[in-house]
Amino acid sequence: MAWRIEYYEQHDGSVPAAKFLDGCPAKIDAQFNAVLDAVAAAPPPRFSGGGKWEAMHGSMGGYYEIRLTGPGREQFRLFCLLENAAPSELRRRGLKAPSVVVINGMRKPHRTTFTDRDYRKHVRALGEDHLANIPRRLAQ
Amino acid sequence: MKRTGFHERRRTERMRDPEFRDEYERARREIEQIDSVVRSLDELRESTGMSKTDLARRIGRNPSSIRRLFTSRSNPELRLVVQIANDLDADIIVVPRHKKRDRRLQSDECASVAAA
Repeated sequence: MAWRIEYYEQHDGSVPAAKFLDGCPAKIDAQFNAVLDAVAAAPPPRFSGGGKWEAMHGSMGGYYEIRLTGPGREQFRLFCLLENAAPSELRRRGLKAPSVVVINGMRKPHRTTFTDRDYRKHVRALGEDHLANIPRRLAQ
Repeated sequence: MKRTGFHERRRTERMRDPEFRDEYERARREIEQIDSVVRSLDELRESTGMSKTDLARRIGRNPSSIRRLFTSRSNPELRLVVQIANDLDADIIVVPRHKKRDRRLQSDECASVAAA
């Protein structure tokens, strides 16, 4: 069964991941969409996403990222959470089906790293807000 | 009530841009081919009754590297894919998508990889 792809929405109605994708080069946006659609069509634990979809570790455990390289070897990352549970629990969360939830994205020059502060501020804080909401606040 | 989700509507809108559409279709083909190779190897492994740990031991790899490969937790390394294929008595082959004459006209995207 294919999963749905949902986008986390902030309390002010903004959608960080959509804003990030809108600012990416068209080819990078297209590749992110292609990986998301492939993963949703053949969801975990099956191998999917052509090697560009990876589970994260350490303080980012529980998150998944799509890793792409753009012009000038600029690095683009899109961060997601997976939501899967019994149908009654999914309904309680306001989800129509198991879902890949796109939280936010970040970009950086080649050979640089994101700090844990970057992850905390731009990904985990948003992911925690997403998980704290019942039902989930999703872009419509 | 909206009948399609935010993602589908955004993608449909972006597909109006030819650059986005061409890259999306190219990326989907590429992803499908890579996924197909890895899934074929995993199905072949399962059909032989071999566990991931057994497979790792046979090719001298850490079991976690095999688990990561088959569960999308790492970028597949071609050398590892070929090692697994060899151990499962399979070949990784490249199948030209077009005839030689046609290939000259196409500078990219002319080959696909498939697990035999």
